[in-house]
Amino acid sequence: MVGAHRSVNALGNRIAQVYRFRELIALLVGRDLKVRYKRSVLGMFWTLLNPLLQMAVYSLVFSTIMKIGMPGYPVFLLSGLLPWSLISVATTSSAHSLLNNQGLIRKVAVPQAVYPVAVVGSKLIDLLFSLVPLAILAALMGRPPGLSWLSLPLALVFCTLFSAGLSLLFSSLTVFFRDIRHLIDILFQIWFYLTPVLYSHEFLEKLPHRSVRLALGLNPAAPIVRMFQSIVYEGRFPDAATVGAAALATALSLGLGSYVFLRFEDRHIHYF
Amino acid sequence: MCFRMRREKITTLKEAILGRFRHLEAADELWALREVTFEVRPGESVGLIGHNGSGKSTLLKIAAGVLRPTTGKIAVQGRISPMIELAAGFDPDLTGRDNVFLNGALMGYSRREMARKFERIVEFSELGEFIDMPVKNYSSGMYARLGFAIAADVDPEILIIDEVLGVGDERFQVKCRERIDLIRRTGCTIFYVSHSMGAIPELCSRVLVLHHGGLVFDGEPEPGIARYRELQGMPAA
Repeated sequence: MVGAHRSVNALGNRIAQVYRFRELIALLVGRDLKVRYKRSVLGMFWTLLNPLLQMAVYSLVFSTIMKIGMPGYPVFLLSGLLPWSLISVATTSSAHSLLNNQGLIRKVAVPQAVYPVAVVGSKLIDLLFSLVPLAILAALMGRPPGLSWLSLPLALVFCTLFSAGLSLLFSSLTVFFRDIRHLIDILFQIWFYLTPVLYSHEFLEKLPHRSVRLALGLNPAAPIVRMFQSIVYEGRFPDAATVGAAALATALSLGLGSYVFLRFEDRHIHYF
Repeated sequence: MCFRMRREKITTLKEAILGRFRHLEAADELWALREVTFEVRPGESVGLIGHNGSGKSTLLKIAAGVLRPTTGKIAVQGRISPMIELAAGFDPDLTGRDNVFLNGALMGYSRREMARKFERIVEFSELGEFIDMPVKNYSSGMYARLGFAIAADVDPEILIIDEVLGVGDERFQVKCRERIDLIRRTGCTIFYVSHSMGAIPELCSRVLVLHHGGLVFDGEPEPGIARYRELQGMPAA
């Protein structure tokens, strides 16, 4: 009991510390954006183009070629692809953030969480920019942004914090095992198909085997993606069950990620 | 402070699993510092001397909060401006200007506060228009000048300097020493590591001598330097 209380205290301390260094996080995000923007003319464009191209290809395959028959399929797709992109890209990009910043870590005592958090922040900015083409596409396909979009900030918060938890977890593990990056890539590929991004969640609920249904129902990314799909594609506020599940998933991700990160933070420097 | 020198350096999960995680046991221990206890009062300037490998850099890193001691405790009160591994705090792709703000942010300063200090820092470093050049193109002297200018200007309450003054021409070294002296007179606490025995009595009121990770002397500079020379096997001149 005492141990748990102390851990919560320590966590609270750490969060306060990271907040103190918010200027540093902002600077790191700015640095990342600047570097990406400078490197190639298409730089910023490519980041926006990526999910759009994906959407176009998947639409072609599932809507036109396979004719799954969902109205406004591109909107459904993109509304799920954007939060998924944040989760997967933020996690894979932040995996090496501690290794990449070992010079700074060795020099000045700063809560190391700022480095993966800065990467998540940078990808969040990308997502925010992507909301523009999403809104345009939705409007063009007869589902213009409405009242439900007011709950987008909440969905964004959950998505970002969920990604942050995973980033903390994997950035720490990558310091000790450099090849975890490959594992993460494979994990996300499989995870993508198990998450109802390409298809509606209703398909999962209709599965015959109860154990499979349960297992897939435990997917933490699913409620978060569902929230975006409800808001943008269905044009309604996400229901309480989905929001609750998303909140739980976020809490678990942050909890696990923070725990592992804090536990091993002092050892990182010995493994650079 | 115990470092585990792993006999095999395992960096991938594949190796760990194939080796059935045996690497976790096979390690030699290196106690870089053992039973080092001391207290520094605000405003003191302490010199830290000892042979190569005696644990000086390790002690500074612990003081700066970069390393956590294996056993024992450390309590530091005040804003620390560390000058350890000088070039490590720079991002080579960024310009000198961006690195000034980066280093400021690392020490908890806001952009606005750093903007106020910016002119003074550039002036001290004598870099002029090179401040807008990517740092990877700097000479080592320019690195040192910029690094020192930043560290010295951030109003530290505790300044840690690790053998950095060796770089830069004589005129710049004199400027550095004058600046350190100025900082000292404003009541800043200074922790100074050097192999140059000349600077120590000038700048430090107290000297700690480390020998193979142990603290063997804590007191006045002159006898401290004598003890260090004695341990080195050199004449006490």
